[in-house]
Amino acid sequence: MTETLFEKIWNSHVVVEKENEPSLIYIDRHLIHEVTSPQAFDGLRVNHRNVRRRDLTVATIDHNVPTTDRSLPMIDETSSTQIKTLEKNCKDFGIKLFGINDPNQGIVHVIGPQLGITLPGSTIVCGDSHTSTQGAFGAFAFGIGTSEVEHTLATQTLWLEKPKTFEILATGKRKNTFAITSKDIILSIIKQIGTDGGTGHVLEYRGNAISDLSMEQRMTICNMSIEAGSRAGLIAPDEKTFDYLNNRKYTPKNYDELVDDWKNNLMSDTNSKFDKSFTIDVEKIEPQVSWGTNPAMVSDVTGKIPTPEDFGQNNEIQIESAKKALLYMDLKPDTPIVEISIDRVFIGSCTNARLEDLKDAAEIVKGKTVNSEVSAMVVPGSQMVKLEAEKLGLDKIFKDANFEWRESGCSMCLGMNPDILKPGERCASTSNRNFEGRQGSGGRTHLVSPVMAAASAIAGHFVDVREWC
Amino acid sequence: MIGNVIKYERDNIDTDVIIPGTYLKIHDYNELATHAMEGLDPEFPSKVKDGDFIVAGKNFGCGSSREHAPIALSTCGIKAVIATSFARIFYRNSVDGAFLLPIEVDDETYQKISNSDQLEINIEKNEIKNITKNEIYAMKPFSEIIAKIIAAGGLFKYKK
Repeated sequence: MTETLFEKIWNSHVVVEKENEPSLIYIDRHLIHEVTSPQAFDGLRVNHRNVRRRDLTVATIDHNVPTTDRSLPMIDETSSTQIKTLEKNCKDFGIKLFGINDPNQGIVHVIGPQLGITLPGSTIVCGDSHTSTQGAFGAFAFGIGTSEVEHTLATQTLWLEKPKTFEILATGKRKNTFAITSKDIILSIIKQIGTDGGTGHVLEYRGNAISDLSMEQRMTICNMSIEAGSRAGLIAPDEKTFDYLNNRKYTPKNYDELVDDWKNNLMSDTNSKFDKSFTIDVEKIEPQVSWGTNPAMVSDVTGKIPTPEDFGQNNEIQIESAKKALLYMDLKPDTPIVEISIDRVFIGSCTNARLEDLKDAAEIVKGKTVNSEVSAMVVPGSQMVKLEAEKLGLDKIFKDANFEWRESGCSMCLGMNPDILKPGERCASTSNRNFEGRQGSGGRTHLVSPVMAAASAIAGHFVDVREWC
Repeated sequence: MIGNVIKYERDNIDTDVIIPGTYLKIHDYNELATHAMEGLDPEFPSKVKDGDFIVAGKNFGCGSSREHAPIALSTCGIKAVIATSFARIFYRNSVDGAFLLPIEVDDETYQKISNSDQLEINIEKNEIKNITKNEIYAMKPFSEIIAKIIAAGGLFKYKK
């Protein structure tokens, strides 16, 4: 019987399986951050439970941290309390923490792969929906709620219903491999399958257009699987995967043996059956810009803001949601995307703040200056990314162009630290969600790739980055 | 289970409007509840009554894995969310912690239910009675697994 990659990983992690019952699945790696863990630790204490596998559990601080000078005291007391709570919980339960001043601190989904904690064929959970990022390494990686965080801490297992499988086949060659990025591929996919297209399914991205991508580009794709409704998305590992993870800080000692095993096992069998399938030709993809309040409301940069009727196509609810989105975004139908002016630019987040993202953005920015009406910032995805970027002099390129160069963290992706939009401000953002208020109450988010964000920062409005390279 | 409807005629009601990110730092559930639905309807905490139901369109609860979302609604008194579909993490969080019932209905039922209608939900019969309009609707039955977790009162109790 043929099996898909996901089914192979699932089957190799089943502890208990009975008909019409959830399956008990073994968890190989549990990553923790300050926001979704406090109540889980409270639960352990109340029930006199311990952490079952502290050696498979790792914590960092990313959501709340200010991205400005870390030698200064934190102004926000509730954030400070939440961070101190995680520090205490990690100390009390003996969990490794990459704390606020640790050189390995960073966004949890960025440091997992960088440290070699993320491994092909493994099951990985974190109380954060963008855990799907790590599926790029051929892992079953998914976000969980706090009750499940507690369950994982206590048992290193989770009761799960087996998801269905969904093949996303990406064919063709991108017409411009610098200007048309993996962000544009995933936004195009979500535009077509919808924000709930993947609900109840694990996505497997396949095809030569996926193999062509670097590991960092693949992470951007898997990261946004959740924006299509899928808790997890994955990509079969290949030489690029094995090279990326070689010689990392926590890469296992028997790595070569593991690689041999992965090469033989971690792929969907020929002719394996997926419950659903969708094909996209990347040759037709242009740079993308979101115009609405969910990640399926996306346009080609050469396009115009749609009318609600065109967007909704006879679906009353869709038409109504487009009207509400345009009202919130203060946009009028038929406005060319390139005529939309912006106030802020955010290059950061677990979607697009790795070294390649910053290198590409710097390539655009080099020798130019941010438009005087725009305030722009770069927030590296981890302190390791920051250090590598500084070794390449990228910080200087950004600072010379009037970008702010910050410490790592989730920053302006989700508005729970000091980096937020003011009401009414319009932002070109490399993050993953354009929901109402996501980047701060009343803030207006346009999702774009790092090169699109960089070029727009210089121009002061959206531009077709293909004309810049 | 009888309650009144607070209806939002919207798809994709995401976790960032259910409980905006800035409040995820709050540890106390009662304080968290004062910000429930703030991104969409700031009046919500003052108008919601214990036992009420939210009715909405498809993909309710999309976005973040924050369990704060069902917790904030539940602490306000919401006993069920009736929607045409749910994002899976929200669905699972609602049931795991026994915070509220995520109930799926078809489009027609969603259209028929109006704001302020009084409903009676009967999960044994998979039936929703609209007391105000004297109508009866079918709800999508819970899968056997989810029904067992609900009957047990949450994931931890289910497997004890």
